[in-house]
Amino acid sequence: MSVQAHDGGQPLLRVEGVRKHFAFTKGILFAKTLGHVKAVDDVSFDIRAGETLGLVGESGCGKTTTSRMILNLEAPTEGRILLDGEPIHALKGEALKAYRTKVQAVFQDPWSSLNPRMKVGRTIAESLIVNAWGDRARIDERVRELLVQVGLRPEQAQQYPHEFSGGQRQRVALAAALASRPRLIVLDEPVSALDVSIRAQMMNLLKDIQAKDDVAYLLVAHDLATVRHMADHTVVMYLGKIVERAPTAALFDDVRHPYTKALFSAVLVAWPGQAAEEIELRGEVPSPLDPPSGCRFHTRCPYVMAHCSQREPALREVSPDHFVACHLFE
Amino acid sequence: MKPDMRGETVLEVRDLHTHFFLRRGVVKAVDGVSFSLRRGEVLGLVGESGCGKSLTALSLMRLLPKGGAQTIKGEVLLNGENILERTPAEMREIRGRRISMVLQDPQTSLNPVFSIGDQLREAIVRRKRASHVDVMKEAVEALRRVEIAAPEQRIGQYPHQLSGGMKQRVVGAIAISGEPGVLIADEPTTALDVTIQLQYLKLLKRLQAETGMAILFITHDFGVVGRMCDRVAVMYAGRIVECGPVRQIFEAPQHPSTRALIASVPKMTGPVGRLTTIEGQPPSLMNLPVGCRFASRCPLVEQRCLDAYPAEVRVGDAHTADCWKVTPA
Repeated sequence: MSVQAHDGGQPLLRVEGVRKHFAFTKGILFAKTLGHVKAVDDVSFDIRAGETLGLVGESGCGKTTTSRMILNLEAPTEGRILLDGEPIHALKGEALKAYRTKVQAVFQDPWSSLNPRMKVGRTIAESLIVNAWGDRARIDERVRELLVQVGLRPEQAQQYPHEFSGGQRQRVALAAALASRPRLIVLDEPVSALDVSIRAQMMNLLKDIQAKDDVAYLLVAHDLATVRHMADHTVVMYLGKIVERAPTAALFDDVRHPYTKALFSAVLVAWPGQAAEEIELRGEVPSPLDPPSGCRFHTRCPYVMAHCSQREPALREVSPDHFVACHLFE
Repeated sequence: MKPDMRGETVLEVRDLHTHFFLRRGVVKAVDGVSFSLRRGEVLGLVGESGCGKSLTALSLMRLLPKGGAQTIKGEVLLNGENILERTPAEMREIRGRRISMVLQDPQTSLNPVFSIGDQLREAIVRRKRASHVDVMKEAVEALRRVEIAAPEQRIGQYPHQLSGGMKQRVVGAIAISGEPGVLIADEPTTALDVTIQLQYLKLLKRLQAETGMAILFITHDFGVVGRMCDRVAVMYAGRIVECGPVRQIFEAPQHPSTRALIASVPKMTGPVGRLTTIEGQPPSLMNLPVGCRFASRCPLVEQRCLDAYPAEVRVGDAHTADCWKVTPA
């Protein structure tokens, strides 16, 4: 998890000091750059093969931009992302095509991620066809196998998306992602559009597939309980920065950063009286167009100190493999 | 809220049936719902999508969607008066003043081409005649009540200039401006970030304490229920299958469907392992079984469950469940 991979093995995916700044401009023809939105600002983490990394934060924290960069849909302004030690944004042509088979995605909304005019079997086969994976019969066989793997019936390949429920569609999307036997799947809020009981089925399915296929997940989510059940490591982001990063069990045992604490206390614990220390944050997340100086959280932090607005805290290790960016821990 | 602080019953729903009459058949979306709500109380209405919780709310408001939906049976007693018998014109007087509603998506509840001041003013002017200056003063006051900072400046702004949490506060301000006795909140925080959700729920609680209104809180999130509600009603396939105080429902759910639902929620504490799931699908609302609607998915099912719908059983203090297998208190 830490950049110094201490188990000796190379991580599957390494994100190294990545920044993504979007220019915002005025005018069309002679557009003038007014400034930059620092959507992601110096983010580093590793994902090991067969592991799940949870990426948590509120809207605008940069978690989606980070996952888009990992999917190679967006190039970082600075820093690099490596898959098996190879920088992914330098890939071109066939190598890039091969990358896309290794890294796949499942998005939040199962209603918009499938083509309504395409039989789901064809949607699942798409990546196999594009990559000339085999002849028709072999591809059909693989599609049937994938449908069974995600808990659907093989003959459902002939059906259209509208014939499926939300949970089943999400299974189809997962089957399509699994088709090319990827090493990493980016799961962007994969269960938040699903009902509670369906959600549990999907989470169990994802875990079963991981155990069997040794695929790694990047789980982008806002629901901490989902992350707790799914992720081996968790990264918490706020306004483009990592504020805390730790093995999931360690993080849930011992939350350090005030923002993470606030997130935890905002999680509405179903069992009354279970919530520990309650921190209600004042105000809203500041605009990433004009992030606060120093620590970006200082405007809402209940423990704010004089120098928080001046110096930006570095991410430092407070206990083994547990990193926090906060002046309280210096 | 303590039981002794609760007041008289302000809303009583008896045997409500709202069906969709389609060419393909009749969809029994709300099929015999009964509950009551007392002054100052928050009742949670939970259940999976398609169980009829939102349609129950729309039936209470008499705002059924176009396309064949009709309330065919039942009573909705608002302070003892059956509002299902009121004319549309009378209903317009009742909505906003006596019963009001907040929907999930603040983006679609507000009109994008009018300033929030205009939209608040509309709600106030409909209620009483007053000079423009007084109405504006009241609108600013309404925004201040929902804790919007610098309301004088905000009042001239348009919905797109506000964040999601702020928009939902404006919607709330409009909904309670008529000081209704009953507020229906249909998943008001689902579209909000968690820290903003907490702010909004606390605001609702504060407003409720000030006004004593009763809230029917529709949600699928048990966390929200734990934070907000005094009692919970669990819906399954068009009916309330269990109803009782929050603590009892969480700690000792009686109906197998409630038990399964609670078990499938990922927890913040306790062991991390496989989650319990509910196998199968809810029955089609077009073709409901004669017996218990959960029977096809129930681990405890036996013959009598298939033969007849179970009667409501009192299983504890103000706690009921529709199940053959529960032990009466």
